Amino acid sequence: MRSRTGALTVAVVALFLGVLVVSQFRSREAFSRTLQQETPETLTTLIADLSDRNRQLRDEIFDLRSRLEQARSSIAGGRGALEESERELAHLQVFSARSAVSGPGIAVRIVGPFDERALSDLVNELRNAGAEAIAVNDRRVGPRTWFGPGPEGTLVIDGAQAQGPWIVRAIGAVEVLYVGLTRTGGIVGQFQLIYDRTRFDVTREPLLRLPALSSP
Amino acid sequence: MTIRYVEPLHASIEGLQAQQDAFKEQLAGLRTELDDLQRTAATQSGATQDLQQRLDDLRALAGLTAARGEGLVVQLDAPPPIAPLDRPTCFAPDLTDITNMAWRAGAAAVSINGERVVGSSSVYCVGSTIVVNGTVASAPFEIRAIGDPAALLATFDDPAQLRDLKRRRDERSVIFHATRAPLIEIGPYTGPIAVGSARTE
Repeated sequence: MRSRTGALTVAVVALFLGVLVVSQFRSREAFSRTLQQETPETLTTLIADLSDRNRQLRDEIFDLRSRLEQARSSIAGGRGALEESERELAHLQVFSARSAVSGPGIAVRIVGPFDERALSDLVNELRNAGAEAIAVNDRRVGPRTWFGPGPEGTLVIDGAQAQGPWIVRAIGAVEVLYVGLTRTGGIVGQFQLIYDRTRFDVTREPLLRLPALSSP
Repeated sequence: MTIRYVEPLHASIEGLQAQQDAFKEQLAGLRTELDDLQRTAATQSGATQDLQQRLDDLRALAGLTAARGEGLVVQLDAPPPIAPLDRPTCFAPDLTDITNMAWRAGAAAVSINGERVVGSSSVYCVGSTIVVNGTVASAPFEIRAIGDPAALLATFDDPAQLRDLKRRRDERSVIFHATRAPLIEIGPYTGPIAVGSARTE
């Protein structure tokens, strides 16, 4: 009986691994096929983006190694890992939008008709430009924030109705954020063509204060 | 441009993606090591135990821990091209719309082709290739959402939601369907946590 159960377990695991290998192979094959269709300009942009991301990862690995070393030496010296834990807590509070934050960034003022999909696209673009914290009017954008339509001049953010005009503020590297949004063919230029009755102003801000997330 | 210029570019992309996968694995290992160290140190005093609990809660909220549970799996793909010169689809807006919809329906965790969607995640197109969390991906896409399957399915089936995507599905210009799943696993976010400009108040 035991050997039959064992054989069944082995068969289920083998089947699962087989499905996994096949699906990974298919996904890799599909990815290679997509690359074949891309232009050299697109491939070059992808290479630049991947290199940039790999540099960020390398920096974080370097930083984490040094923090590990410091924590080990602090524990060995009888001081525990309190300092490292407090540092990580502060990082995670920013990353998960659980604390009010301040710092330099940009503000996008939107006066006129605007919809939830455009707002979602704007937030996506700000994240793409490396925004560390984002707020729409007085509401902080969190990891699970969603946008929905509302009655005339309003939108729904995380289930709560919010009233325009809109001011979207983002903390991060000011020039990267500013150029990311205002470059030729960028999202603000596209918005100006689509929402021709709406005014969009992007400004650099030396100090922004954003509230903590108000919903879980 | 001739193949001899394009092929090295393909090889570079595949090499950089493989390097990224290795970096992510390394980063995940270092995060676990640091977590273990803090956990061991936390057993020594009540104050650090409380801090450890807060760290654990924040890691889960931020998407830095694996999640599992019932939910919904959404498949998104382009039908085979009718003509060889048919322009491939950029799925980035569809992927952000589907993710937005999942959060709206109360999802606890979402992933796109295995990439955990977190507070810093962005989805964009370079040509028809998608970049999620700085990782390149292409169709077919699988979006996993952990949450109440009935609530998720009801939101996805609501005719007022994802209208554009549903219209294109009805016109057979996109393959799009959602199915309930009794058990979904979504791995932790393994990318960088860039906090350089923002300070807690």
